[in-house]
Amino acid sequence: MNTIPRHLKIGVVLIAIAGIISAGYFVGVVGRIRSMVREQETTSNPFVAPTAPLFSSADPPADVKIFFPPGSGMSILSAEHRTIFKSGELSNRVKQILQIVVDGPMTKEFLPAVPKDTKLQEVFISNDGVLFVDFSSALSVNHPGGMINEQATIYSIVDSILYNLPEIHQVKILIGGTEQETLAGHCLLLLPLEMDLSITSEEEGTHAN
Amino acid sequence: MKGIFRTTVLIAILLAGITAALFLHPLMIRAADSDLPIYLEDSTILLKTQTVKGVLYLPLADIVKNLSLPYTNDTSQEAFTVRGSNSQVVMTRNSASISVNNQVTQLSSPVLHDNGTWLVPMEFLQLGLSRVTATEFRRRAGAPRVFAGGVKAAELTMISQTQAALTRLTLRTSTPVTLQLKRETAQHRAILVFAPKPVDPVRENLDFKDRLVQSINFNDSDGSPKVIVEVSDDVSDVRMLSADENRVHFVDFLRKTEATQAAPPQAAPGPAASAADPRRQDGASTTATPARTVSTSTTGTIGIRVIVIDPGHGGTDSGVSAMDGLEKDLTLAIARKLRTTLQSQLGATVLLTRDSDVPLTSEARAAVANNNRADLFVSLHIGYSANKSDLSSSVYVIQENFAAAELATKEKGQRLFLPWYLGYAKNRPLSMKVAGILSEELGKSLPGWTFPVRSGPVAVLASTTMPAILIEVGNLNNPASTQALLDAAFQTRFSATVAGAIERLSAPRQPDK
Repeated sequence: MNTIPRHLKIGVVLIAIAGIISAGYFVGVVGRIRSMVREQETTSNPFVAPTAPLFSSADPPADVKIFFPPGSGMSILSAEHRTIFKSGELSNRVKQILQIVVDGPMTKEFLPAVPKDTKLQEVFISNDGVLFVDFSSALSVNHPGGMINEQATIYSIVDSILYNLPEIHQVKILIGGTEQETLAGHCLLLLPLEMDLSITSEEEGTHAN
Repeated sequence: MKGIFRTTVLIAILLAGITAALFLHPLMIRAADSDLPIYLEDSTILLKTQTVKGVLYLPLADIVKNLSLPYTNDTSQEAFTVRGSNSQVVMTRNSASISVNNQVTQLSSPVLHDNGTWLVPMEFLQLGLSRVTATEFRRRAGAPRVFAGGVKAAELTMISQTQAALTRLTLRTSTPVTLQLKRETAQHRAILVFAPKPVDPVRENLDFKDRLVQSINFNDSDGSPKVIVEVSDDVSDVRMLSADENRVHFVDFLRKTEATQAAPPQAAPGPAASAADPRRQDGASTTATPARTVSTSTTGTIGIRVIVIDPGHGGTDSGVSAMDGLEKDLTLAIARKLRTTLQSQLGATVLLTRDSDVPLTSEARAAVANNNRADLFVSLHIGYSANKSDLSSSVYVIQENFAAAELATKEKGQRLFLPWYLGYAKNRPLSMKVAGILSEELGKSLPGWTFPVRSGPVAVLASTTMPAILIEVGNLNNPASTQALLDAAFQTRFSATVAGAIERLSAPRQPDK
């Protein structure tokens, strides 16, 4: 036993103490990270609004014209007659109309205007009647492209809203929560857009409501 | 015990060595000296700069001597003091903190004192010297030159473009300058010397190389601003033309074999040209209209002299696609054919926004046309309709009053500058006329194809300041249409028709009003 020098013994003891301290610290850190992760899993995301129904059973139905690309003919968009429920909340009516646009036409006469997997994320209406509408990035990522196609997608959204809801004057489209220069390289989305019925088979001045 | 002591001493020496190395490290990495001019109102100072550890340093003593500022170099305290009329800056060796009028200011890199030379980082000019001299020092990020106080530098932009038998370098300055062309044939160089100085280039060099021009670099390290162009053996002659009251200079490098056939530069284009272009009616350049060497035809009646063709999409953005073709490749192929046809039929200068597979933003595409003062902008796209049987193509113009209402209500006409995306406004009527003629000619020449004129919020057209249209041809969702678009003969026919329509347009235009 006496062959081991004293300083080596002291050194070993010191290393052992340091080892215990760092092991304890490590366990503590791991524990804290675990508890943080658990905390994040359990707390609900405060930024997601609770889902509420877009209309109640008492709301009267209303006829609307939703614009889709027609299966034939020269015009870029044509109107399909659909029904929404006249909720007192303007944003609920907006969401109902946009949901129809996203879900696509009922009849084979029309083609879908919005690429598949697109989700309506959020709408916001400013005091001066500008609707900000945010779609999931599928709107641009899954878009097949082409000027006419892009115009059809954009004005299916813009015209369907502005034709049926005169309270709204302009529509600004956001994608994935942010402003994008274009949808798929053609149409400028940096500015709010106004109704353009010249590309539809509809005549100007025949507004609903 | 003795062993431990020895080990401890060794470790201590090693640690001291590492510390010393870390401490001395910045002083060890040095790059070769280069010159940096500081332009003052009545003179120019040239400073030998040093790059230490990636930071550009200036010799402090040279600055204060040149500016005749009183200073004290206290070697015992390792401090350097510069005095102004009623202010002073004190710097200490290896410290990034400097004292300006007894207030501490932080530089991003320390002041160095080495072999009797004091070195200060570039920002000392703005953070220290400007306070003592009450003069502002301005520097474009990364540029090796500094402008002091009220010095007005001519901002320089350079564009270079390969054309049929020549390479054209266009130098545009914010204020009139005179350029002197010196040819150093032995060194394969052409030097363009600016007067008066100083000149403030937006970029130091142009990333451009072709058969005639090897490199284009701005240099004023000797205090004399100049552009140095390295040319190849193929250059037979260099010609220079000035326009827009000496704000624009065209430098043409002519190719050897074809130089004899190239039309000599003509200084005065026909009066029809300047009257026809509405942009030139604002009085900016009525006296000295640019002379464009290639664009003047023998008849002298051509109103369209510069055409910019924009092949849609590119790079990661493929556009629409079919089994055997991508939009980006088709648009480029057609654009190249159209360029050749237009150059030979109209003798016009034809530029492409992209001549390779690269992505570009809409703004960059419009900028090519605006910067080159194009008379016509044609964007080429291929269509894709969800409706398989759809065979219609389109000629697009920008929507009428696009964005105008939006801006009018928000700014109530109190606008100093025209917003970028309202650039289209002045020329929309002409764009409609161009679209009408193209629609008619294409419909006639390609049986079974229709090209109705449509309008929309087309991003690439919004900011163009000349008649601008977008042609969307075919439907890649239709096999027959795709087959036609891939066929070289169809592409040739299509581009010949477009060129023919442009030729029809380019008969002298009536001045608007």
